[in-house]
Amino acid sequence: MMTRATARRAAFLAGVLALVCCAGAALAQGVGHNPFSVGVSEGGGQYGGVLGWLMSQQMEFERQISGAVRAIRTTGAGFWTLSGLSFAYGVFHAAGPGHGKAVVAAYMIANERALKRGLVISGLASLLQGLVAIAIVGVLAVLLSATAQRMRDAAEWVEIASFAGIASFGAVLAFRKGRALFAALRPPPPASRFVCEAADADGSHEHGPNCGHFHMPDPSTLGKKTFSWRDAALTVITAGSRPCSGAILVLVFSMAQGIFWAGVAATFAMALGTAITTGALATMAVLAKDLALRLTGGGARRGEIIGRALEFAAACLVLALGLALLLGYTLAGI
Amino acid sequence: MKKVLLLTPLLLWSLPAQAHPHVMVSVTTEVIFTEGKVAAIRHHWTFDDMYSAFVTANLGQNGKDPTTQELQPVAQTNIESLKEYEYFTFPKVNGKKAAFGAPFDYSMTFDGKDKTATLHFTMPLTEAARSKLFVFQIYDPSYFVAFQFDKGDPVKLLSAPQGCSLSVSKPRPLDGEEAKKLDESFFSGLSPGTDFGAKLADRAIVACP
Repeated sequence: MMTRATARRAAFLAGVLALVCCAGAALAQGVGHNPFSVGVSEGGGQYGGVLGWLMSQQMEFERQISGAVRAIRTTGAGFWTLSGLSFAYGVFHAAGPGHGKAVVAAYMIANERALKRGLVISGLASLLQGLVAIAIVGVLAVLLSATAQRMRDAAEWVEIASFAGIASFGAVLAFRKGRALFAALRPPPPASRFVCEAADADGSHEHGPNCGHFHMPDPSTLGKKTFSWRDAALTVITAGSRPCSGAILVLVFSMAQGIFWAGVAATFAMALGTAITTGALATMAVLAKDLALRLTGGGARRGEIIGRALEFAAACLVLALGLALLLGYTLAGI
Repeated sequence: MKKVLLLTPLLLWSLPAQAHPHVMVSVTTEVIFTEGKVAAIRHHWTFDDMYSAFVTANLGQNGKDPTTQELQPVAQTNIESLKEYEYFTFPKVNGKKAAFGAPFDYSMTFDGKDKTATLHFTMPLTEAARSKLFVFQIYDPSYFVAFQFDKGDPVKLLSAPQGCSLSVSKPRPLDGEEAKKLDESFFSGLSPGTDFGAKLADRAIVACP
């Protein structure tokens, strides 16, 4: 029997799957390394319109940031100018597309409904991104007097590791979410349901063998019970371990000017800006998921299936993303 | 379907579909003539101060600016990796796409006053591609690098016959339809088409009698 609701659900699922597919296709473009890269794959799209505006802002920021670093060196003033510019640069830089944000958004859809935790995760990922840039430049260039080529190699290594991390994380998530979706699709065994609910009254989710091990939380609690610090930490690491070119450039430039600390300050300001934009994205992801569940809701079972499907799709997106990024490397012959 | 529409920009926005330029290059180019025809071009690409600091990091001895000799490995690496990107230089000879031969005479210099690095290299045109009408553009289709002709006199003609003309033109603004396509490409994360880099790049036209 194909009710209107079932048809709607089917259309919704088809839409989600189509999204994952076209995401994969878009990603399959790969990410070769530009001759003038600083070791991490950041290409440009094309510019004009909205993106052009963002880009022209970005170029202007880079010019002003290097000017501010010079000013600190020559006049001693300009620290707040540099911090403010770097902060704004972080906000704008993160407003462009990027895989870190894809991981955070997908994680939020796959796991999270608690907004606060999402914001903390976004913040930590941004902070980590800054710290990795500082570590690469600080250790290699400042302490070990490494050249650009060695910094590039290090950044590249970190990047490959982070792509592999994204793929593995996606695979684990997809497996887990796929299993949950499969379980949700099976018809509930009515006799044992009460046993489970009775046993689960304290929220501990421990139940006896009568239960048949069938999990069916109310959609409003979806995600809450599945929160794991390990997943959250993995999200922070996979989303934030790849440094951004802008931070590396400002750090090396500050070092060349003899005021490395200014670059460090600028990097932290950038991380704060990035955290705000990524946090906004995480918020959007949570709200979108909430809304999707509410619009398709009306019945715990259907809500659960849709929620699980959405989580599964998001997990697949992370996996596809990781694989596409790794594939880009293989294609680029590295 | 409302929810799918709602999620679409969110997920696509987060795709790594590229971002924005991180390196700015100011270009001057010499167009070199042999027997009245364009035979080669010599590029001088000056990087912005931040990228210059990166690429020359720790190469100078005892805190001094790096010498051309110390920068030679950098020039070498750049030239090797530029091949795959067609040296970001896209020539047209008599209206047809042409290609350059392997670059030679390459080096990198460092300007101690501006603290900027400049990559120099020469690229020959094949015998068949030598011509009296020569057009070229310099751009990075992925837009990681923003190339711009230097202010003033960015293109010079060397040993040109009498009566050759040179014009360096800024790109015309995009028309409404094209701008729309670019905006759509931003939201879809898909490329708007490869010719956009060309449309947005500066262009130099050399015509000889």
